[in-house]
Amino acid sequence: MSLAIFLVTLAFMIVLQSAIPFLLKKTIVFGVTIPEKNATNSELATYKRRYSSIVLITGIIAFVAFLVWSINTHASEDQLVWIGLVIQLGLLLLCMALYLYYHAKTTELKRNKTWGIRTKQIRVADLQSHVKDAMLPSSMYVLPMLVTIGLVIYTTTQYSLLPDMIPTHWDVNGQPDAFSPKTPFSSIALLVILLVMQVMMLGINIATKQSGIKLNSSKKKSSQIQQLAFRKYTSWFLLMTTILLTILFSFLQLTTIHEGFQNVTLMMGLPLGFLLVMLIASAVYAFKVGQGGSRIAVSIAEEESTEFADEDNDRHWKLGVFYVNKQDPSIFVEKRFGIGWSINFGNPVGYFIVFVPLLLVLLVSFFA
Amino acid sequence: MFIQIEATSDIPIYTQLANQVIELIARGQLQGGDTLPSVRALASDLSVNMHTVNKSYHELEQKGIIRIVPKSGAIINPIVQYGMSRENRQRIIERIRPILAESLVLGMSLEEIEQLVSATLSLLKED
Repeated sequence: MSLAIFLVTLAFMIVLQSAIPFLLKKTIVFGVTIPEKNATNSELATYKRRYSSIVLITGIIAFVAFLVWSINTHASEDQLVWIGLVIQLGLLLLCMALYLYYHAKTTELKRNKTWGIRTKQIRVADLQSHVKDAMLPSSMYVLPMLVTIGLVIYTTTQYSLLPDMIPTHWDVNGQPDAFSPKTPFSSIALLVILLVMQVMMLGINIATKQSGIKLNSSKKKSSQIQQLAFRKYTSWFLLMTTILLTILFSFLQLTTIHEGFQNVTLMMGLPLGFLLVMLIASAVYAFKVGQGGSRIAVSIAEEESTEFADEDNDRHWKLGVFYVNKQDPSIFVEKRFGIGWSINFGNPVGYFIVFVPLLLVLLVSFFA
Repeated sequence: MFIQIEATSDIPIYTQLANQVIELIARGQLQGGDTLPSVRALASDLSVNMHTVNKSYHELEQKGIIRIVPKSGAIINPIVQYGMSRENRQRIIERIRPILAESLVLGMSLEEIEQLVSATLSLLKED
């Protein structure tokens, strides 16, 4: 089972990571802004191809080696998990190292060719952007919380039914493998973690709504349509994650209260289903929506203006991946190398929304 | 209803913003009763400090072009139909005068200035 899970996630990582340079906007290459007219430069294309092929080839070798090793040695479950994790981590480190290398190369190329030095740089906004924003209302994120609170109340009424040892961890087959003595706190710890995550998702949705809708000055209308679609699908994706988490955690809590619910197939299938749906949804999000909605087809024809260029924000993007802009009130910004959102490290509210809940989750799981 | 700013220009960003809003009203794209986006929304869309947007909204309010209503935001005032107030007229004259003087000093002919004014006006009234 572990082997299958690791192979699927590894394959997924390899495909997505090697496809990344081609899924991104043509005007941002390895975290460096490239003017529209220079984006087709052959050297840039070579960098992208090399990045992809190195990741793909190394990934395939690691994948096959892992498979052969596990079949030949009859490795234990523990060994599988550790080696699997090491391989995934190694692949991520390789991607990071390659990214940094090509980020430096692209920066140098841009400097040597003095791209974008002479064009006038502007920023564009639409006064109506936020009226057209179609992100889901935050109230939809409150509904799953009601389920959690209901379950907390239900758990307290059924307290006497609960076993003396409360499951706190489940193995790959969905069977509990770690327990804590029964206390009022440990009996609802799982629900507390769920609630913290639901609050975090709500916070992320609110913060994303307040974050800027950044338009491309040379393609105002189409970039707006793409941005709005990107925001809409992000909020759908977030809500889907929240609902799936709620189903999974609620189910686990119910199996703890009522042993009769402990159906082996369901306990194994639900977490796996969760993983599978998340992987598929991420792939659809990456390939269909793309960075900032760049893969959404826009039917309107628009003259690309060449008189102005979009403002080069490179100085705010440390290493091309960390956005630090104290002036910008946006809490989240679109990622530069990857698909999704990133924190504006210049705005402390972002740390609060993302890191405090994670810390809380760790604390609860430690003390429960 | 797009606005654009140039961060490297000599004109401060808040003035650029206010000018763009005024131009949208003159063109009829923004009308009395329309609301401007919240300070936070516009500032984050343009990646500028909220104080910058706030300053330009206050400048527009001082000129009587918008009114800032607590909780509802910045609302465009209807275009004045019955002639402008004395203070507003005085302010415009004071601002036009040095620009006209500068144009003459830098070698613009009378006809050129007149042409420029009527061309700009018809551009604003065009759509």
